[in-house]
Amino acid sequence: MDITALKKWENELNVCIRCGYCYEHCHLFKSFHWESDTPRGKLILAYGLLTGELQPSTYIAEKIFECFYCKNCEKSCSAKVPVTDILTTVKESLFSAGFDVDGVSAKVIEDLCSGCGICILDCKAKAISFKQTDDKKQADVDKIKCQGCGICISACPSDAITQREGFGVSPQELLSRVTDFLDGEQSDISPKVITFCCNWSVYPELQFSILPEKEEIPSPIVITMCTGRIAPELILQAFNRGVWGVLIAACPIGECEHDGNYIALKRILLLKQMLRQFNIDSERVRLEWVASGESAKLRNAMNEFHDKLAKLGPIGG
Amino acid sequence: MEIDVERLKEIVGEKNVRENIADLYVYGSDSSVHEAIPSVVVRPETAKEVQEIVRYANAGPIPVIARGAGSGTSGHTVPIDGGIVMDLKQMNQILAIRPQDVLCKVEPGVVCDDLNKALKPYGLWFPSAPESGRIATIGGTIANNGSGVRAVKYGTMRDYVLGMKVILANGDLVTLGSDTRAQASGYQLDRLIVGSEGTLGIIVEATLFLRHLPKFRAMGMAKFNKLEDAGETISDIVTSEVTPSLLELVDDIAITALNKTLNMNLPQVEAIVAYECDGRLKEAVDYDIETIKEICEKHNAFGIEISSDVKEMERIYSGRKKLFAALSRYREGFACTSLADDMAVPSSKIAECARRIHEIGERNHVVMNAYGHCGIGLLHTKILMDVTKREQWEDARRAVDEVYDYVRSVGGTTSGEHGIAISKAPSWKKEKADSLQMMKAIKMALDPNNILNPHKLMDAPDDWVTATKLRYPVR
Repeated sequence: MDITALKKWENELNVCIRCGYCYEHCHLFKSFHWESDTPRGKLILAYGLLTGELQPSTYIAEKIFECFYCKNCEKSCSAKVPVTDILTTVKESLFSAGFDVDGVSAKVIEDLCSGCGICILDCKAKAISFKQTDDKKQADVDKIKCQGCGICISACPSDAITQREGFGVSPQELLSRVTDFLDGEQSDISPKVITFCCNWSVYPELQFSILPEKEEIPSPIVITMCTGRIAPELILQAFNRGVWGVLIAACPIGECEHDGNYIALKRILLLKQMLRQFNIDSERVRLEWVASGESAKLRNAMNEFHDKLAKLGPIGG
Repeated sequence: MEIDVERLKEIVGEKNVRENIADLYVYGSDSSVHEAIPSVVVRPETAKEVQEIVRYANAGPIPVIARGAGSGTSGHTVPIDGGIVMDLKQMNQILAIRPQDVLCKVEPGVVCDDLNKALKPYGLWFPSAPESGRIATIGGTIANNGSGVRAVKYGTMRDYVLGMKVILANGDLVTLGSDTRAQASGYQLDRLIVGSEGTLGIIVEATLFLRHLPKFRAMGMAKFNKLEDAGETISDIVTSEVTPSLLELVDDIAITALNKTLNMNLPQVEAIVAYECDGRLKEAVDYDIETIKEICEKHNAFGIEISSDVKEMERIYSGRKKLFAALSRYREGFACTSLADDMAVPSSKIAECARRIHEIGERNHVVMNAYGHCGIGLLHTKILMDVTKREQWEDARRAVDEVYDYVRSVGGTTSGEHGIAISKAPSWKKEKADSLQMMKAIKMALDPNNILNPHKLMDAPDDWVTATKLRYPVR
């Protein structure tokens, strides 16, 4: 592997004191609980590759390509280490050396792609372009640029884009979180409300510790990484399975790395219109702007929404 | 060293064992300057699994290094001889909160700040969470006898551990202490484990004494044009009738670093003394805050700001929590290393010690600063230097020696809260010269095969610079 590009980050890798504060709100760490999945762990891997103490491998490449660019790590770093910029350089170097792995990046199912280009319009990272195959043009994802936000997956009318599962945020995994809630221990709670929120709105989850009794959270919070990932179908499926209302907490306009909040806004407006046509109260879906760290605001929004839904009751009930 | 990884997989399951070099490399360092690669990483989920791993390792013998968040600053979890790194973060249950007994029971992987979030609805808290409490685990904090900014009023971890379940080197599980605050007779074995840095046993459960959350808090920030004035202020506050709940010194280097990275907008003076008082009565808290203000003014403090605004106080605490990393941006080309780190001196020596630290840094071509929980005599320093240059490590070695020679000469101690492990062992061994044999005898009695975190504390190498590979690209 050519480490020339990586050399420019040597000072930054030295400046990192490896305190570990960066992994407090890392979704990858919360998914797997191994330190090698943390931002600090990835910087240590980058350092190993730079110094030659580590040889590049598919295993390392998978770790490096598994980052959602939520940048919570950078926000918590008072040494101001540009974690994701460093990871992007490592991705480039590994990719150039032939380590072509999926990580969290979007993947096009060529047989299903109709080449409509909707995904290209929705990708703020400009990671998708057209490529010409023998008989048609179709979407092609640049794995280095792709930040795994999942907006393209929910935007694709042909279900032609997927993402590796295991991070809890694919459409199937999100739906199964809804199903788990309805069928699981909390199935008797009322009102049946589910909150989707991106990884910036961190209330009220504890870091990793597990409480002795049920957490006093009014209803489950499903971390979606980016709210642009929430397809209207997911909300309809939730309603169809017995959920009374869906609250979506998104970053305020202008604050989303992927413009997923803007996409969510458009989708929710359309969905509300559709719900009205079915005689379903459109207030059963609510979008709230909650910036990073505004946990009190999220809590209030959840409480208010709960009160509202308690009055509305179940759909059709 | 032959390790039967299949046997470990039988114990904890395949998903909880990692042997890929990438994982091992990551688990080979912490927040210290050291680096060494373990042979395997395991993640037990129950005390029984810990027992079985330790029994297997003891038969080897194979080193076992217990690891919490890996936020230690002296190389506690760096596996100096390789072996099994035991990541305990999966044992993260808060087992019981018993307000009626003012205690809680937790597994070692519970994160300190998480515990405080869970205790809050009961009006209780655990005041000994360290500044790294957002990731630091209870197990690691006990093993290190950590403390934090509130130690001046509320004490250190040792004051909060009522009891523990510990796995000894032979795999036996022992229950130490009790669920009571009064414990009179016999050897205080639970207290022996506190601060033992993983060398005597592996904590699998802890019973912690709790405190009621104070109803009122207020804080003050006093500015000083002379470091000496700030130091004398601290000595006077400590000897006054008031017990603040926080008493911190921040020197000019720390002020620059905080302003540079966090835009904290602190005045660029030679020193700031931050203090906090808490209690049940607002009038009592205000009275204490005022008394400290008067002491500050007596020593030429100016621009004293007092606040009981929760957001403003949170801003100050947050800056304090982030100082360690912020120091890495103090000067271009320098990085912050956790060396010297956390000595304690008698409170009358705070000012002199802070000044000495600055002088020693300058004399040895590195930057050293002074800040910390001065209310308990504790001063933090870090060494900021060009970590890529070999000669700078020689400078650092001299500076560390000089600082500790001074600290010991005034009756101070090598480590006030971060522990010894590797980096601070040379000075600590000098400090504890006449009790080292006693400690070695205890270690031999409890761990005859020397499997638990070997070559740390009294058994650490005599030169910290060459004790392990350094984590920096030294040329």
